[in-house]
Amino acid sequence: MHLRVLRSVFVAAFVVASTPLAIAHHEPLAKFDDKKPVNLTGVVSLVDWRNPHVHVFMNVKSGAADGAVANWAIELESPIDLEESGWSHDTLHPGDRISVQGMAARNGSRQAWGKSVMLAATGRKILFASVAPPPLPLAPHPTPRWPEGQPRLGATAQGTQGYWAFPSATALVEAGVNAPMDAWGLLKSIADAPKVAPMQPWALKLYTERQQRFLQDDPMYLNCKPPGGPRQFQLSPGLQLVEDRGRQRIFVLIGSGNNNYRIIYTDGRSHQGQVGGDDENPLFYGRAVGKWDGDTLTIDTRGFNEDFWFTNGGLPHTDQLKLIEKLSRPNYDTLKYDLTVDDPGAYTRPWSASWTLRWVADREMARHLCQENRS
Amino acid sequence: MVNRFRNLSAAFALFGLLVACMQLTAVPVAAQEGHPLKGSWLGTWSGNKTLGNDVLIVMTWDGKNITGTINPGTDNIVIKSATLNPEGWLVHIEADAKDKAGAAITFTIDGKIENLPLASRAVSGTWKDNKGGTGAFRIGRQ
Repeated sequence: MHLRVLRSVFVAAFVVASTPLAIAHHEPLAKFDDKKPVNLTGVVSLVDWRNPHVHVFMNVKSGAADGAVANWAIELESPIDLEESGWSHDTLHPGDRISVQGMAARNGSRQAWGKSVMLAATGRKILFASVAPPPLPLAPHPTPRWPEGQPRLGATAQGTQGYWAFPSATALVEAGVNAPMDAWGLLKSIADAPKVAPMQPWALKLYTERQQRFLQDDPMYLNCKPPGGPRQFQLSPGLQLVEDRGRQRIFVLIGSGNNNYRIIYTDGRSHQGQVGGDDENPLFYGRAVGKWDGDTLTIDTRGFNEDFWFTNGGLPHTDQLKLIEKLSRPNYDTLKYDLTVDDPGAYTRPWSASWTLRWVADREMARHLCQENRS
Repeated sequence: MVNRFRNLSAAFALFGLLVACMQLTAVPVAAQEGHPLKGSWLGTWSGNKTLGNDVLIVMTWDGKNITGTINPGTDNIVIKSATLNPEGWLVHIEADAKDKAGAAITFTIDGKIENLPLASRAVSGTWKDNKGGTGAFRIGRQ
């Protein structure tokens, strides 16, 4: 009896220890194949309501003569996204009969990405994420300003909440280029790869291979590496800009990745010697200095390391990367972000892009907390 | 009953040891998402009677050229030329050195990057010199 139990423990332990790391929070197509549609009907056995993705386990009859039942894992969006869409851990229960439409796992296992989950009894669609930007006011509110006249980039008064989210572009593409992608930066057509940015041959090949592997090597999701560079302005959880005018710096609080922050110094200091003894250490967020020019904050950032992807979609960069970012708030609800990328290590010339973010008023930014391999 | 308890304890101790060993064999490597050859590489050029089997290569990328040193601190061989062909990720390195007698010797390395997406990528291929030496070459990124 004990031997049998022990043998099971050993087998389970070996399987767990020898299984490659599961892809944590990720581009769905990194794990699932949109060319393998799957329709399942069965009975819920467990709802695992936790980050980074909710899983619903269901027993599905195989259709064979013996009526064998197989357990499937249905992967869904994060609890935060589902809760923002009106669902909770209590929406579905073990024993509920459901129908699922989705796409099957690339590795052939009994896992599927749930595009649609319906209660079989009522046909009611449940557990789908539908997070829409807040409606724009009919008449745009004017840009909020500090007493000195400078635009305010963050919340406007003591006690009010809000953050920037819903970027109009979620992947970096050179201005004027038409290269359709999904929300994660995965190209619809790999033939468009050379158009995305003026990449050097090695960078183009690397970018293409990252795309062909469906972005599954993204270190932000695999290892919780910070979203340095413009990527922090293109992530769906959004960000907050906190202006510390007394200390002359702006904090960029990032709503995803590993929930850390970037500092933009506005006190006139140079890139060198920003923090004593730290001159040569390349950083995930680089060294940023900002300067107001009228209503536009121009941020010059250098000193990046090469340990992360600076864009959704996997455009490469090197430690020669310099970014010029221009932030402006043309009205209350809009943050305009203009970017020039200058990286002679990876690109053949400087190039630009721009997009906008929407102000999400009176709400706290959700915390998509990343843990190693559990982002 | 006591024996069973002892067997159970021994089994769990063995299991703990097994898990610990598995953890220890997973060596962390610093990520490098930029130019694939940049960084420190440690490995072997088997049968190299001039410099020994072990080799350390440090390379960098300035946007146009790959530069670097073979065995810094001991042999300090400056890389004369290095190229990376992205089509197949083929690596070619040439370096001039001196043998133990002080005579000039030129090393040529041809290899291919393996496991490109991983921080623990490797370059595998062959090395040769202009005096007939040749052998297998393999370095892994540190």
